[in-house]
Amino acid sequence: MLQCPSCARRQEPRLLCSGCGAPLAADLDLFVALGLPRLLQIDVAELESAYHYLGRRTHPDRFASGSPELRDASLRATALVTRAYRTLRDPVSRGLYWLELHGHKLAENNKQVPADLAELVFEVQEQLSELRNARNQEGSGASQGMIELIAKRASLQGLIDELYAELVENFAGFDKGGGPEPDQLFAELKAILSKIAYLRTLLRDVDHELDSDRTE
Amino acid sequence: MMTPRIFGIDLGTTNSLIAVMDGAQPRVISEPGTGNPLLPSVVALTPEGAVYVGHDAIELEPHFGRTPDGQVFARGLSGGTAAVVIRSVKRYVGLGGSDLAPEDRRRYAFADLSRPVVRFNVGARTYTPPQISAEILRSLKQRAETAAGETVERVVITVPAYFNDGQRQATKDAGRLAGLEVVRLVNEPTAASLAYGLQHNAEGKVAVYDLGGGTFDISLLNIKGGVFEVLATNGDTHLGGDDIDRVVVDWLLSDTSPEFRADHHVWNSARRAAEDAKKRLSDTNVAEVRLELGQRHIVKALTRDEFERMAEPLVKRTMECCRRALADAHLQPTEIDQVVLVGGSTRTPLVRRRIGELFKREPLCSLDPDQVVALGAAVQAGVLMGTQTDMLLLDVVPLSLGIETMGGVMERLIHRNTTIPTSTTERFTTAVDNQTHVDVHVLQGERELAQDCRSLARFKLGPIGPQPAGLPRIEVTFLIDANGILNVTARDQLTGREHSVDVKPSYGLTDDEIERMLEESIDLGETDIAQRLLINARNEALQLMTALAKQLKDYGELIEPEERQRVEDAAARLDSARIGEDRELIGRLVEELNELTTPFAERIMNYAIRRALEKKSIEELS
Repeated sequence: MLQCPSCARRQEPRLLCSGCGAPLAADLDLFVALGLPRLLQIDVAELESAYHYLGRRTHPDRFASGSPELRDASLRATALVTRAYRTLRDPVSRGLYWLELHGHKLAENNKQVPADLAELVFEVQEQLSELRNARNQEGSGASQGMIELIAKRASLQGLIDELYAELVENFAGFDKGGGPEPDQLFAELKAILSKIAYLRTLLRDVDHELDSDRTE
Repeated sequence: MMTPRIFGIDLGTTNSLIAVMDGAQPRVISEPGTGNPLLPSVVALTPEGAVYVGHDAIELEPHFGRTPDGQVFARGLSGGTAAVVIRSVKRYVGLGGSDLAPEDRRRYAFADLSRPVVRFNVGARTYTPPQISAEILRSLKQRAETAAGETVERVVITVPAYFNDGQRQATKDAGRLAGLEVVRLVNEPTAASLAYGLQHNAEGKVAVYDLGGGTFDISLLNIKGGVFEVLATNGDTHLGGDDIDRVVVDWLLSDTSPEFRADHHVWNSARRAAEDAKKRLSDTNVAEVRLELGQRHIVKALTRDEFERMAEPLVKRTMECCRRALADAHLQPTEIDQVVLVGGSTRTPLVRRRIGELFKREPLCSLDPDQVVALGAAVQAGVLMGTQTDMLLLDVVPLSLGIETMGGVMERLIHRNTTIPTSTTERFTTAVDNQTHVDVHVLQGERELAQDCRSLARFKLGPIGPQPAGLPRIEVTFLIDANGILNVTARDQLTGREHSVDVKPSYGLTDDEIERMLEESIDLGETDIAQRLLINARNEALQLMTALAKQLKDYGELIEPEERQRVEDAAARLDSARIGEDRELIGRLVEELNELTTPFAERIMNYAIRRALEKKSIEELS
């Protein structure tokens, strides 16, 4: 049971006090925090308006003259709705969180290369190391390597966009869930998410390399 | 009883302002008497402990000036009573001794560079940047209290969006040292967007380009239905108009020796001339710079083209920041609906041109770029007072926050541009049996290695009861509040007990140090006022005597020997009183000397006018 820092009412953990509407320092599931069903399919406009509505009710700006307990609750409640909004807004982080809620957390250090990406990953790594070598030798090979890397970046981005579309398409199916083989669904979702996560890391490495050229 | 109003303060590198909500509109409070809205962020400190802020402090800065009749002379006291005049103290806020550049050490004397807080040497005393900033805040508080007739206790202070945790903490410390409750720190570009938002009912994607005296920020916001959501921010806390001035100073003094340039009179005079030339070049294509440095005169012409070549590398750095912010927000430059200019340096045509080229649109500058941040701070104060209920500000943390892991790698826990307040939880355990503490090193920055990031703080988790390695589970919550400042709490997952977390900031003052400074300033409070008045009287006496000595030398033929004797006797009496402690005696003798020299001064004035007229008639004849 939680006690409201404003009106002292005792209640089950929730975002806002059922009595006076003041924010509570509750630890909630991110879907529950924003008052949304635990589904992968989310209407982004609805998500945003829920966030803005609740943000206005919890934000520390509104409790600047409140008691220390109320200010603390406001801070924690706002941090929670903000984290919920950011996590659920992005389909990939939403999917990962959904999996976690169902006890299928993706390994934190996603080091395993998904099998059908192995070739692509190898190619990019090769290109990156060639570019670094060319730079160290201060030869003319660097600019050629840059052009190739920029081209590769575009194809990586394209692949991510495709997987994204596939993910969003499948959300409806996952939401129906259960079915004959729920584990099959989890495995599918996991596979597609880990692919995207891996490609994003790769894309960041490429961007890092391209960026380091610009700042030098 | 009415709760006291909250005031908004722009604590700038070059100028500071204070503003408040007047009904539904924010208003900057000008200095009573002069009507000047800006308080120069310049503080003069004397070895006796006297403090001067603003124009009074500028007066004490060593430089070459001119008398009304055109004579060049060295201004600023020298010798034992020399004041240390500190400009741009904001550049030093949140820095440790090891952060100082050789350039800084040439300009000011610092104490013990190994300490985690910069300390300026002033005679036998030392001052930290928060103490100096506190003097500026006190002066603004006084101004507002005189003008508004109410006490100022609670304030909003603006900081550069790109300020790190240590710089924010130091700004809050300054407020505390000035006897103010800092209700909120607000990012400067965000404050500016609030002021614009209120004025124009702006909607859409807005870029705020804020180039001040010492810092640069770019913030991208989405404004929608009263919600001001910062999408991304970037910047450089050591890049501003000061740096442009410095490049021009180097050019001005390029033909002189390093010793000559190191002279404070020379450097400050050149800096003033550079700043002046920069401002003139906003409206003209060429500016003549005349530098009269004692015996040496330098006259150079600076064209706008040449000036722009000098400023270009600095402006280019701001453009890089803009591109990075756009990339972080996943926006193309053309998707920005409005570009808002903030900070005096955005008056430079080159800056406006480059912004226009990047965003493909004319920037908006309908509010005074010097005042818009203070106005926004007042709007935020209104939000905090509950009078602006329709606005919601969602700002971000500018730099990633993480911890040092095995092998000195930075592990990011909160990524840059995450909306604040935000929190994250991390689990820690022990590595060896019966380990009693776990050390945690908190970092801020974007680099991969811990050593390349800014160290924020270290803390120890524990004490942990004797247990096998890996068994204890301590949950640490890193929470960044609405000020962008980190708070850490820890809980033992097994026992549910809260752990004490003794956070030692890597840079900045500890709570004990602030308490001590506060006690000292309260103890000194009474003597300080008497001391300040005494020093004021002494300075006035010295100024009068210096002027008189010069007049006697230059216009000796205008004074009779007998009158001269009387004046010199009075001056001698004042000179001996000046060394003593009797402020009232000094005041009386100053008055006496003033009266005694009035006829002489009038003769000088008449003589000067006659000569000017003669010169004019000769010119007319020829």
